[in-house]
Amino acid sequence: MQDEESLVRRAQKHDQEAFAQIYEEYFDRIYRYITFKIGDAVEAEDLTQQVFLNTLRSISSFKWRGKPFSAWLYRIAHNQVVDYLRKKKKAVVPLEENLASAGDNPQQAAERKLGIERVLAAARHLTDAQREVISLRFTSELSIAQVAEVMGKSQGAVKALQHSGIVALRRALSVTQNE
Amino acid sequence: MNKKEFDNILNECLERLLVKGESLEQCLQSYPEQAAELKPLLETALAAREASTVQPRPDFRARARYQFQSALKEMAAGKSRTSWGWFPRWATVLAIVLVLVLGGGGTVFAADGSMPDSPLYSVKLATEQVRLTLTPSQMGKARLCAELADRRVTEIAYMANKGDVQQVELITERLDDKLDLLVVLIEGRGGVSLPGILPAAPPPEEAAAPPAPTTTPPPPTEEAQPAPPVAITGPGKGWGGRDADDQNSNQAQLRNTLASDAASNRAVLRAALDEMPESVKPALRRALAVSEDGYEEALDALE
Repeated sequence: MQDEESLVRRAQKHDQEAFAQIYEEYFDRIYRYITFKIGDAVEAEDLTQQVFLNTLRSISSFKWRGKPFSAWLYRIAHNQVVDYLRKKKKAVVPLEENLASAGDNPQQAAERKLGIERVLAAARHLTDAQREVISLRFTSELSIAQVAEVMGKSQGAVKALQHSGIVALRRALSVTQNE
Repeated sequence: MNKKEFDNILNECLERLLVKGESLEQCLQSYPEQAAELKPLLETALAAREASTVQPRPDFRARARYQFQSALKEMAAGKSRTSWGWFPRWATVLAIVLVLVLGGGGTVFAADGSMPDSPLYSVKLATEQVRLTLTPSQMGKARLCAELADRRVTEIAYMANKGDVQQVELITERLDDKLDLLVVLIEGRGGVSLPGILPAAPPPEEAAAPPAPTTTPPPPTEEAQPAPPVAITGPGKGWGGRDADDQNSNQAQLRNTLASDAASNRAVLRAALDEMPESVKPALRRALAVSEDGYEEALDALE
């Protein structure tokens, strides 16, 4: 992606091409982040779309204050998830075909789906902060520094949450495996 | 080793494993003393990473992109609305002046992106009519007609999203008109008078040329003798092309465009039907039927 600051400045002037670049760059990552956070791949679609519509409406209010644009964008996604979880409080819907990737045969697709379902189910046993770190690190592929920016925490604190989050996830995974 | 040191080692291994693509064994070899503790954690991280393979469904991705683009256009139109709010009263006159004298430009561009709830929308419609009237060739008119039909579908989805049933019905009628006109043009009856503000202009080269066999009929009247369908005429200027090859190529291009538009517009309207409240659905069903029938008829006419 071209220089993020100039791209965002163009988007703030409603440059459609700039917005399209931002959209393509972040759409899948935001989608995965939300899926991991709420554990529902279908609901995550609508929420992802809403994040980008909210971004469109509010991008003019974004100010460069030393924080990357991605931190602001993930903040919008985080708020969207918080709103959703507050309103919804419902059982997680099984995952559908979203989990299959191109090239999978049916057996591979089924195994992949089972594996991801287990991880998403186990993620519900994490604290909010742990889930946030694991999601940003492993599904959105942000660096420790970027996660620290998004969460407004120190890198040391993020590393500690990463550690405790993985431990909690492992424990939850072994529990679900034994069930 | 304290916890902070271990957190750093764990993070370094994760970077090597997940970013640099090193193997689990390579990471563990670097820290033999911590290997027993690191191994299960790194395996768990790899399992979590598996969740990153989840992808949005392709149909959702297409729908989302469309909705986002619509919202973007709406926003762009809203931005221009502030400086051109007085425009609608003079829409027709200014559209003619802008297109004829200035050759389009920024205002026409701004109006082009406007939606039915924008003051610039009447300029958009007037400009479309001027462009349609001034387009010399049958093929050019047909292409433009296809583009305008496509715009109407976008507007229908937009107004449905706003819950404006009346506008959805009104634009559906405009869509119907455009698709009907498209069929007329494809069938070579392009000499019919286009509902508009200017008489249809003959193509410049034809205006100066002596009478010659052509499928582009002389000055438009409803009573004009219908020309034979373009698709079966011999070499000439039927679609504005120079020879039969051009003509076939133009027709093939138009067919591809229409087939693509038919499919995407069907998807857009069906997606809108799924999402919109019950109050808008009857109007949307009518729009879907008009769109499907109109495109089918146009594609049939091209056969």
